[in-house]
Amino acid sequence: MNDQIQNLRNIGISAHIDSGKTTLTERILYYTKRIFAIHEVKGKDGVGATMDTMELEKERGITIASAATHCEWKGHRINIIDTPGHVDFTIEVERALRVMDGGILILCAVGGVQSQSIAVDRQMNRYEVPRIAFINKCDRSGADPYRVLEQLREKLNLNGVFVQIPIGLEGKFSGVVDLVLMKAFYFEGTSGEEVREGAIPSDIIEEAKERREELLDAASMFSDDLMEAVLEDEVTEDLIYEAVRTGTVSRGLTPVFLGSAYKNIGVQSLLDGVNRYLPAPTDVKNNAIDLDQKGKEVPLECNPDSPVVALGFKLEVTPYGQLTYLRLYQGSIGKGDNLLITRTRKKLKVGRLVRMHADQMEDVTEARAGDIVALFGVDCYSGDTFTNGRLNYSMSSMFVPEPVISLAINPEDNKAQGNMSKALNRFTREDPTFRSHVDQESGETIISGMGELHLEVYVERMKREFDAAVNTGLPQVAYREAITKMASFDYTHKKQTGGAGQFGRVAGFMEPSESGAYEFVNHVKGGVIPIEFIPAVDKGFQTCLGKGQLIGFPVLGMKMVVNDGKSHSVDSSERAFRAAAVGAFKQVYMKAKPVILEPVMKVSVEGPSEFQGNVMASINQRRGLITSSTEDGVFTTIEAEVPLAEMFGYATTLRSLTQGKAEFTMEFSRYAKVPGSIVEELKSEIQKKTKGEGKS
Amino acid sequence: MKDFISVSPLRILEKSSRKELGSGNLGVLIARAGVGKTACLIHIAFDKIFRKERLVHISLEEGPEKVMSFYDVIYRDLDQALGFTDGDEHRMMIDRNRMILAYLNQSFDVDRLRTNLMNLTENLEFRPNALIVDGLDFEKAERIIFEGLRGIAGEFQLEIWLSALSHRHVTQTNERGIPYPCHKLDDLFSLIIQLQPEPTGVFLRLLKDHDNPTISDASVRLDPNTFLALD
Repeated sequence: MNDQIQNLRNIGISAHIDSGKTTLTERILYYTKRIFAIHEVKGKDGVGATMDTMELEKERGITIASAATHCEWKGHRINIIDTPGHVDFTIEVERALRVMDGGILILCAVGGVQSQSIAVDRQMNRYEVPRIAFINKCDRSGADPYRVLEQLREKLNLNGVFVQIPIGLEGKFSGVVDLVLMKAFYFEGTSGEEVREGAIPSDIIEEAKERREELLDAASMFSDDLMEAVLEDEVTEDLIYEAVRTGTVSRGLTPVFLGSAYKNIGVQSLLDGVNRYLPAPTDVKNNAIDLDQKGKEVPLECNPDSPVVALGFKLEVTPYGQLTYLRLYQGSIGKGDNLLITRTRKKLKVGRLVRMHADQMEDVTEARAGDIVALFGVDCYSGDTFTNGRLNYSMSSMFVPEPVISLAINPEDNKAQGNMSKALNRFTREDPTFRSHVDQESGETIISGMGELHLEVYVERMKREFDAAVNTGLPQVAYREAITKMASFDYTHKKQTGGAGQFGRVAGFMEPSESGAYEFVNHVKGGVIPIEFIPAVDKGFQTCLGKGQLIGFPVLGMKMVVNDGKSHSVDSSERAFRAAAVGAFKQVYMKAKPVILEPVMKVSVEGPSEFQGNVMASINQRRGLITSSTEDGVFTTIEAEVPLAEMFGYATTLRSLTQGKAEFTMEFSRYAKVPGSIVEELKSEIQKKTKGEGKS
Repeated sequence: MKDFISVSPLRILEKSSRKELGSGNLGVLIARAGVGKTACLIHIAFDKIFRKERLVHISLEEGPEKVMSFYDVIYRDLDQALGFTDGDEHRMMIDRNRMILAYLNQSFDVDRLRTNLMNLTENLEFRPNALIVDGLDFEKAERIIFEGLRGIAGEFQLEIWLSALSHRHVTQTNERGIPYPCHKLDDLFSLIIQLQPEPTGVFLRLLKDHDNPTISDASVRLDPNTFLALD
């Protein structure tokens, strides 16, 4: 049993967009005999890569939803989550990392450590995921894995060390030298399935010796035995493997593998590396929150005999019902077992239990601690914790970023209307960064998400998967309002229209909250507002936060302090105090000098250095603030902060400015005050829109 | 803000003949490893930024993220020591007046720097008053690089501060008393300052002061934790 867990690997594959994640996964599946033919991303055979199951993924050649699969390699079972590279789908990466024990960080031998590699690495750090690196595309013109290793150290601060060196590079890349075995490996046969071992070519033998020394130096920091063996010149392969594994699992060392997934070079060695260096579920510490002990963190035990604790980390609605992906942290579950969802206290019986392979599934009768499986027909939300009812544990929730962009959508016809609701219901359950609501004034359905591509993909999926064709408006920025000054209120709500009257007086002040979140402070003394009505006052204020009076956007960072009031023994009620709070808010809000806030994105543009000037100018024209520019070889990376409102259509601009040679990524950074010169323009634009909607 | 400027390590310049490094000139800060060259350079940077001058920080070893984190750490220390009251305004001043140019993997050369500075001027209207160059290896860099930097200082009308690594075991000096590794380059530098740890604190000592042939014992004692001038 213990062997089973020891030989299990739950890994994620993450990288910058277009670094070859899906291509690598396709090879892994082929060599581990999960599939029997290799199909390329956007391949000419029209099939598409196995893990890109959505039509849209196959067409665009990008991964949108993370897909799960599993395979076996040399006695180890490996659960793999292939994740999207585009930052708009970041929640998929976060979800995968939350439940992974280890990761493969893919880097492009030409592009090196790119902006999204940095973002992905940051995410891996957040979840303390040990990783190995794979420098892919060593066959491409301009490939320089040595430079990438330096970048790994400098830009990602990882203690990267080669465990292989390349045999040739660019067009001459033909294999790798294993620095532990000190042998050359070539990958032959029609699809690289025959691994041939050979002597190290004489022209790189010196380099191999030097790099092995580097590897021993780095690895011996994690093993006294290896250090001694190095001094006594009695180094064995096992000692190196053990030391590198210790270093990797403790996140003190990142072994670096080389290859070209597309040319079928180096993938089998990488799989050996996954088995050797990445942790088994038992090597990783996982904690849960014990709700019976006031939220105390408790360690979980990766033991199939312990009480069940599992996390539902991803939902997918299939034609056969809702599929819930589950990572089992402790205990075992089998068909017919009873489980309890901690959040809802709802019980459920395990019906169909399956192991996923992209969009296909295999029925299994049991799953044990450490495993990743999927359940059918469970009504839950992404992030729910499952137990067998003996424990009241909750797994800490995943980091979910707030959406920054919105789009109004209108169904093209009646049929589309009904289907659109179904689609939205499904998407919002699947993806916590995707939201939808109906604007009360315009009656339009508004969808919100992480970027243009994110929303574009959902609109396209509505049409394809739900037959819900919709017309879309222009993307809208998620503006916010915030007050800048303290202002006092004193408001009495009084209504006497026959029957029971309404009476409530609230007094106090509003001010910007230091934490940036909404705060409600009750300083009422002597029961002038009876204690049972205080929550109604809080609720009243909160209802006002959804729509500020300045331009009608939600209000951020507000602190409401109530310190006085008055009640009436007959006419005061929750309703009256809620109305008083709303009145007080409205009375004083504009006096607290509200301002408009806009989302500002952290933008990173990478491209050949010759375009630095053009790129800088393009960012400057967009009200961007350039913070740095990094020269590395022939490439320049420019980092800037740019308001999201100015970034629409930037991909096209950048393409034409740089002959398509530069690319950019962006992610939400913070909310910032809209400059005075833009405020009036923005106000009149919003007013015009509101009036227009009012007419229609 | 006045508070910081009055205790900034650049107070050493009050003891120099021109009270400043000045446009078109190079200044260098010499210290052994671990004494705090980068920290001291960043103090110089803050001095410039808080005087609302524009600064380019050139890093030859670290990426921008790390450089920014150095600034953040030092700013936090300053805030703790001096109790700044307007963090938001400072943040804005730093964001608007500082530009980081990183040159990784031996990407640095003077022509590239010139192009980058021209791009900043032409496309962003960012005309720096000062450059800070951190991580230039004085032992390997050829004289032509320093001449090139001096050329840039003149061309763009700015001052350039560099840091140089000295070694405990190398005691070589030239006839003017300028220590290794600046002993063969001192004609190119207008100010040479040494950062030296001593039992009573860290001292900044003026070793070269423009064309002034006689330098009295001009030094400033710094707090070893904050690098702020003590007296």
